[in-house]
Parts: sequence; C-alpha cells; structure tokens
Amino acid sequence: MSTTKQTKPNANQRTALREQRERQAAAQRRLSRIVRTTWIAGITAIAVLIGVMVWAVAGNRSATPAPSSGAVVAPANATDTGALRFGTGPVTVSVYADFMCPFCGRFERANGDYLQQAVAAGSITLDVYPLSFLDQQSGGSRYSTRAANALVTVANADPVTALKFNKLLYSNQPAEGGSGLTNAQLADFATQAGASADVAASISREIYTPWVEQATQQAFASGVKQTPTVQINGTEFTGDLYTAGALQAAVEKAASGAK
Amino acid sequence: MPSSGTLAAVRRLRQSNGWIFTTMLISALISLTASFVLSVDAVVLAADPQAALSCNINAVLSCGTVATSWQASLFGFPNAFLGLVAEPVVITIAVASLGGVRFPRWFMLAAQVVYTLGVVFAYWLFFQAYFVIGALCPWCLLVTLSTTLVFASLTHVNVRDGILLLPERVSRTARALIAHDLDAVLVGVWLTVVTAMVVVKYVPLML
Repeated sequence: MSTTKQTKPNANQRTALREQRERQAAAQRRLSRIVRTTWIAGITAIAVLIGVMVWAVAGNRSATPAPSSGAVVAPANATDTGALRFGTGPVTVSVYADFMCPFCGRFERANGDYLQQAVAAGSITLDVYPLSFLDQQSGGSRYSTRAANALVTVANADPVTALKFNKLLYSNQPAEGGSGLTNAQLADFATQAGASADVAASISREIYTPWVEQATQQAFASGVKQTPTVQINGTEFTGDLYTAGALQAAVEKAASGAK
Repeated sequence: MPSSGTLAAVRRLRQSNGWIFTTMLISALISLTASFVLSVDAVVLAADPQAALSCNINAVLSCGTVATSWQASLFGFPNAFLGLVAEPVVITIAVASLGGVRFPRWFMLAAQVVYTLGVVFAYWLFFQAYFVIGALCPWCLLVTLSTTLVFASLTHVNVRDGILLLPERVSRTARALIAHDLDAVLVGVWLTVVTAMVVVKYVPLML
C-alpha cells in the first residue's frame, strides 16, 4: 500500500504531469510546424529564384539587338584604318578610346583641350578611333556603339564641332555599367557643341554603326589591346596618360625630332 | 521532415564536426586565395598606376573600376589585406578542431564577433559594387560567397555548442532549429538570392 502511494501520483500530480506533457507536445507541434513551413518556403524561394535567373538569361538572349547588318557607310575624313582624321599637322597622334571606358574619360579630361588646340594650330594630325567593345557594360543599351556613331555622324558634317562634341561626351560620361546616355541626349550634346539640327537629328538613325563595328575589329586586329591606347607617329605612348602636359611634351619632342 | 535512410545519414553528417569544420576550412582557403589575388593586384596597381588604368579588351566585368574605387581601400589600405590577416586564423581554428581541439568559450565568442564584422563588411562591399560602382569583380564575388559559408559554419557550431551569450530560451530554440537544418535552408536561400542578383544584372550584359 505504501509503495503504491509512492509510485502512483495522486490526482493533482497526475493533472500537473498531464498538463506538462501536453505543453511539451504543443511546443513540439509548433516546432515541427515552423520547420515544415520554413523548408517549404525555402525550397519554393530557391525554385522561384532559379526560374527568375533562367527567365532573365533566356529572355534577354532573344531580346539582344542583332548586330546591324546594314551596309558599311564610311564617313567623310575617315582613314582606311578606321579612324576619324582631324587636322594636317606633321605629328600623327592616334587615340583609341571607348565612350564607356572610365579611363578614356580621365585621359580626355587631362588631354582633350591640348589635342583640340594642337589640331587647330596645325601641329598635329589627330586620328580618333571610337571603339565599341564595351557595349556589354551599358545594360544592353549599346552605349559605346551609339556614342561612337554620334561622334562619327557629327564629324562627317563638321570636324571642329566633332572635337567639341567628343569633349562634351567625356565630360558628361555616364558610369560604367549604367545604361549610358540616350540617343536624344546624345543629340542634345551635339547641338550644344554646335552641330546643326539636321545632323543632331540623324544621330538616332545610326547610319555609321556598321562602320564603327568594322573599325573596332580593325583596331583590335592591328594589335590594340586596351583603351585608352595612344600612339605618336604609330609608336605607343607609354608615359602618363592622365596628367596634362606629359603627352604634349612627348608630341613636341617627336615634332622637333622630325625637323 | 520525414527522412529516409540516406537523407537521415546526410543530415547526421551535416551536424558532425567533421563536416562543419571541413566546410569552414575549404571556404576559408578559397577566401584566402581570393584575398591573395586581390592583394597582389592592389600592390601591382600601387607600383604602376598606369598598369590597370585602362579597359582591356578581355575585361569581362569591369575596367578595374572596382579596384580603384575609394570603397576598395576603406581603411586606407586595400581591403583584401584584411582577408590575408583573418582567414589564416579561421583556417587554424578549423584544422585544430578537426584534430579534436576544443577552444575555450571566450575564444570562440571572440572569433564569432570578429567574423560577424567581417561578413557585414563583405556584404557592404558587395552592395557598393552592385549598386554604386556598377561593376563587379569575380574575385570579390568569390570572397563574398566563401565568407558567407565560413560565417554560417562558425555560427552553426557556436549555436550548437551554446557558445553565444543568448538567453536560455533563445538558445534552446536556436539549437532546435539548427538540429532541423533550418540554417542550411537559410544559407541556401541567401546564396541563391546573391547569385540571382548577379546573374539577372550581369549575365545578359555578357551574352
């Protein structure tokens, strides 16, 4: 009798024990509900994200603008190496640049004024190679190609305006990886540089896109590997591209050597 | 979750020290390698600023804009140096733990605090590169991913062993959730989100 008293709990203790067991069971159920919900939500989220990735990649593949198949129209004052030629000075300075390339912007901001003056003064012949290889870094908007086409369009009509336009585009350069300027914005800058309304309006027709593509291929085939690349009389300038004065000194040295 | 034999075995394995510290070790080695490459780049860049200040035709993701941004050396020296300092400590912890060493609580707690700061910094950099600089570098991404895995494994083991100074109730719940592999779900979703962000924004640009 006494043993049963010890092992068998009385009514109160039984209730307490049952309540405790029920609390534990409820907690256990809650936990397994949380676990199940999280697993399902997690796997669903991963599946949805994978779907989004596939959709983004596959959808964009079909939306990628086809490379232009139009006929190559060479602008006035183009060289057969794929450059726009400015001026007739004794020293030839070649500049390979892409409008999306941040360091081309730095080069242009350091040396643009000097190059413009030297062309005007007749001391250099400036060959500008507007490349389009950074197209992939403007969110699918092909900024490099469109900006190069804009420059060529303006240069075809008026070289002096084109150099001003070139400078404007680099001083208002959009960030690498962004979507760049629109054709309308490019036309606005062209007008601001002094291009006629007709010329500015024809930028959006992208007449020179095939020429730009061809010129870019030509430049890389000739051994250019990066932008900006600057050559003086065909020899690569390896000095400081980003401080005003260094290029000028090298050009002047080449000029005195030629005399 | 109901589990068949293999699933149960996999889940048991995932809770074992061998698995946790091996994950930590491999992730830390990847992170150290990436930090080393980035550090070498930074030194080359410092010695010859002209070297990387251009857009190479082979540049897939960026023109060196990430490496030359102010964010890339927030503390006045290249961020990658921090990886060179921190990852060998993690590697030591992982190797010693695999060998059976158990560190004192204060030691693991300090490791958790420092590495939490590290992972916050890694994601700050990721978001800066993604939203502000607008360019990604592959090695930086590798650091982001491996840092996440090291953090996850370190937190896993510290929660499991009750190292963290959590209130008893929170600690018990956290242990229960980890025992049901919810940390794996969370890390899986998190890494997929990061991957999706990169894929959606950058892969179409490379096609």
